[in-house]
Amino acid sequence: MATLLKIWPLMGRRILGNPAACLACKSARTASGSSDQPEVELFVNDIPVSVPPGTTVLQACAEVGVQIPRFCYHDRLSIAGNCRMCLVEVEKSAKPVASCAMPVMKGMRVKTDSEIARKAREGVMEFLLMNHPLDCPICDQGGECDLQDQSMVFGSDRSRFVDMDHEGKRAVEDKDIGPLVKTIMTRCIQCTRCVRFANEIAGVEEIGTTGRGSDMQIGTYVEKLFGSELSGNIIDICPVGALTSKPYAFTARPWENRKTESIDVMDALGSNIIVATREGSVIRILPRLHEDINEEWLSDRSRFAYDGLKRQRLVSPMVKDASGTLVSCEWEDAFFTILDRLTGVTGSEIAAIAGGHADAESLIVLKDLLNRLGSEALCTEEIFPMDAAGTDLRSNYLLNTQISGIEEAEVVLLVGTNPRYEAPLLNARIRKSWLHNDLTVGVIGPQLDLTYEYDHLGDSTKVLQELAAGTHPFNKVLSSTKRAMIIVGSAVLQRADGGAIHAAMSTLAQNHRVKSGCDESWRVLNVLQRVASQVAALDLGYKAGVQVVRDNPPKVLYLLGADEQTVTKADLPSDCFVVYQGCHGDAGASMADVVLPGAAYTEKVGTYVNTEGRAQQTQVAVTPPGMAREDWKIIRALSEIVGQTLPYDNLNEVRRRLAQMSPNLTRYGDVEEANYFKQAEELAKSVKSSLASDALTPPQLSLKDFYMVDSISRASQTMAHCVAAVTKAEAK
Amino acid sequence: MSVYLEKLRHFRLAIKQHGGIIGAYLNFYRTDELKWGDLIGEDKFGNKYFQNRHYFIGRSRWVQYSDAVGMDYDGSQIPPEWHRWLHYIGDEPPTTAPPVKRSWMVDHKPNLTGTPEQYVPYSTVKPKITAWEPPKA
Amino acid sequence: MAALRLYSVGKAAHTVLNHAARPVAIAASRTFWKQVSPPDPSYEWRDMTDKAANTIFILEICKGLGITLSMLFKEPATLNYPFEKGPLSPRFRGEHCLRRYPSGEERCIACKLCEAICPAQAITIEAEPRADGSRRTTRYDIDMTKCIFCGFCQEACPVDAIVEGPNFEYSTETHEELLYNKEKLLDNGDRWEPEIAANLQADYLYR
Repeated sequence: MATLLKIWPLMGRRILGNPAACLACKSARTASGSSDQPEVELFVNDIPVSVPPGTTVLQACAEVGVQIPRFCYHDRLSIAGNCRMCLVEVEKSAKPVASCAMPVMKGMRVKTDSEIARKAREGVMEFLLMNHPLDCPICDQGGECDLQDQSMVFGSDRSRFVDMDHEGKRAVEDKDIGPLVKTIMTRCIQCTRCVRFANEIAGVEEIGTTGRGSDMQIGTYVEKLFGSELSGNIIDICPVGALTSKPYAFTARPWENRKTESIDVMDALGSNIIVATREGSVIRILPRLHEDINEEWLSDRSRFAYDGLKRQRLVSPMVKDASGTLVSCEWEDAFFTILDRLTGVTGSEIAAIAGGHADAESLIVLKDLLNRLGSEALCTEEIFPMDAAGTDLRSNYLLNTQISGIEEAEVVLLVGTNPRYEAPLLNARIRKSWLHNDLTVGVIGPQLDLTYEYDHLGDSTKVLQELAAGTHPFNKVLSSTKRAMIIVGSAVLQRADGGAIHAAMSTLAQNHRVKSGCDESWRVLNVLQRVASQVAALDLGYKAGVQVVRDNPPKVLYLLGADEQTVTKADLPSDCFVVYQGCHGDAGASMADVVLPGAAYTEKVGTYVNTEGRAQQTQVAVTPPGMAREDWKIIRALSEIVGQTLPYDNLNEVRRRLAQMSPNLTRYGDVEEANYFKQAEELAKSVKSSLASDALTPPQLSLKDFYMVDSISRASQTMAHCVAAVTKAEAK
Repeated sequence: MSVYLEKLRHFRLAIKQHGGIIGAYLNFYRTDELKWGDLIGEDKFGNKYFQNRHYFIGRSRWVQYSDAVGMDYDGSQIPPEWHRWLHYIGDEPPTTAPPVKRSWMVDHKPNLTGTPEQYVPYSTVKPKITAWEPPKA
Repeated sequence: MAALRLYSVGKAAHTVLNHAARPVAIAASRTFWKQVSPPDPSYEWRDMTDKAANTIFILEICKGLGITLSMLFKEPATLNYPFEKGPLSPRFRGEHCLRRYPSGEERCIACKLCEAICPAQAITIEAEPRADGSRRTTRYDIDMTKCIFCGFCQEACPVDAIVEGPNFEYSTETHEELLYNKEKLLDNGDRWEPEIAANLQADYLYR
């Protein structure tokens, strides 16, 4: 066993030879070329089916719509074959066959519902239940438990385990693996899905098995934190209640949850999520399948920061009273206070800053309002180099190759980014591609644990110059492939020499495209954004960065969810009037003279464009608390008060306006491809600034930095517990 | 004839049990009935419980409410242990089969609706959303 | 057209035959009569004086009053509530109670099965881990005005926590008093436990 444990990481690499993993990974299938081999015909319950060789019996059965019960088998994990629940009868085979691990053979006759198969399953189920506690009433998995469901369908109605002498069932001590995942190890059926997830997908080789037979245990060997940014996913894949969510513990049953399909805004990937609500509050967030973005995983911040939606909320408008304290008031009072201040202020003295969670609708409405008032000073908190082409060409600020493009890539160069914490699912894609497709990864930046091996090219800007000039050894690696990707982190582009960095990478990418003779549709340059609103804001013509505000300090400043303190009271003249609109009381609200309570992303229908340029919309899962309203409606109402009534009254009309400005914003689900790389590169040559000598360091370096990055996650207690747990683990 | 004599005897028994003509009248005023039977027990509130199998089931057990409540007697003033016996759920009165007492059990209370002590529902949960407290200037 | 003509010919023939057969038809001969209406009053002298006496001395009313008087001496057929009470079953489904273990620990583990099965959706439960890590409700509300007293909640309960107790004398003057919360239900349980325990004991063979 011990030797087996040691080779876990190695087995990861060997998965390429594993048929199921090949199927799970589309590109791997095309690469291995199994599709051009003749298909194998077999019979499932006398129904003929043809599948590629190397397919397992279980998958062949799925082709004809026969669902085989399983616990250990999972589409996206390697095959373990240890639960034995998927036993089927195969003609001319002496024993029942574990269908998940059995490759198909020509002319095989599989019977999934024969007497032998049924009896085999019943026996397996009886063995499983012999050591499984009957604590379903207090188990959080109850109602969505594979063991519960399958024992109803395939199990026997009685057990031969009577325990006359009260010797007791198997009992295992619970492990403390962190503030997110609750373990009740007595319920574990040793399917090892979590072990395989941690080792293969998350790349954290901290979970494994010890002991054998009925003494086998899953655990972290020594008591320690399961320190992964994807740890929440082991809750989803656990077929029983051994691993459950700690923040969600005991709060609800799956049948009483209302599920709303929505979009996550905690990072720029726009992961698809299901928001489960009950009695008007969000009680958990689960991933929703989207093969091109998040597959079926979700990062911990997206999954667990939802309790921040219930704390530190702005529930009513506030204005400052005579003593300078914000006090709650009616909407009218707040609006007329703003109107008082706006009268006599010229358009050029008004500015607005949009934060990372602003939806496209409120962005466009705010822009229209300020334009009507005569102001052009609309900017985003996130800085992006505006020199040369700047944000005029979409290709400059998008992840052009798309997330799924990583599976086709052969070389990935990460520049000044830590994808593990900036976009955990993108990092999981890179790891997946590294495991299955032999992806080569180069990193410019600090040497971090990215869960895969990479060539470290150093962290100085000199490397960028050498690469752009084509003199760096890594240029050889790049030139050996037609499918290279350069992913530039948006953090390093915020430096003073961001323009130069962007220009250097743009040159490198364009040179590579020309030299390697790659496909015209293959894009090389990618920018990895970090906040959800950035792409939509840039698409709508917002200026990136708050330099405008600093240069011309405004008399009235409108903050749309801007909480990152890019502009503080110190940067503004003392008589500047600050209006904050947003959902959380954070840095922005603290410096405001008027606070307008907006809706969080689970409370409004909003358009968000992810870093690929894919427009998606959130849905209303719960109503905004108290007097809070949807953001675009607030600005629309304000426009009427200040006498510049905007010409739209409902969401459809706002969307029509969005489509006028940038049609891609309303083509939901589609990626609007950007091009003009050549032109961008031409323009990049005009960049004046030169590379500074500071090291290229992204801001999120360790797991501790991952949890709290925006106003929602800063308000979340769960995230605070995570930070505390990681700090404690690091101190050990 | 003996039937009528029997009736007369019962009437005399009832009057005697209630302490003479006046007592019987007062009881009759309160309960609209004059019955005689064996005293089975008395609960801590002063309610007395009687049984007489001469009456048919349903009438064979009855309660004489405590004098303390006067005319404000109410069906809900009967504590649970006697409630069970009075409703014929069991035949053992708590005098012969006393129920187990636990420290956490509380005294019986009658239905208090319409009085200041009536139950008023309230929420047992914390508010779901906590609002932001602006910093004091 | 031909078919139509044939049909009308057939009809005509039928009518003719019917009429021709009428003179030889057989009918039952009626020889026995019975009077169903009341007979005419007798006009004999004796009968008429009897009737007059009945009316003058209101004999029928006196007979009726006699029956009423006799009932005074009979044992009444009704129960004199609240002094006498009717028989109940140990399974009687009355006011809800939340029970405790003998140690005083509340039984309810917030499994929410009662909430799920309640056909009237009268039960609302919210739960969270208690300080000691056990699964407990923070809110257990029953809207007694929605409840249909089907007893499914106590059937569903795996730990006999929610029971419908024997009490039915909890009528209230306002609606809101019937919106029970967890404290009220636990208090009910603490008060009625002696009887609930005895009733469950009486029924244990059939559970």
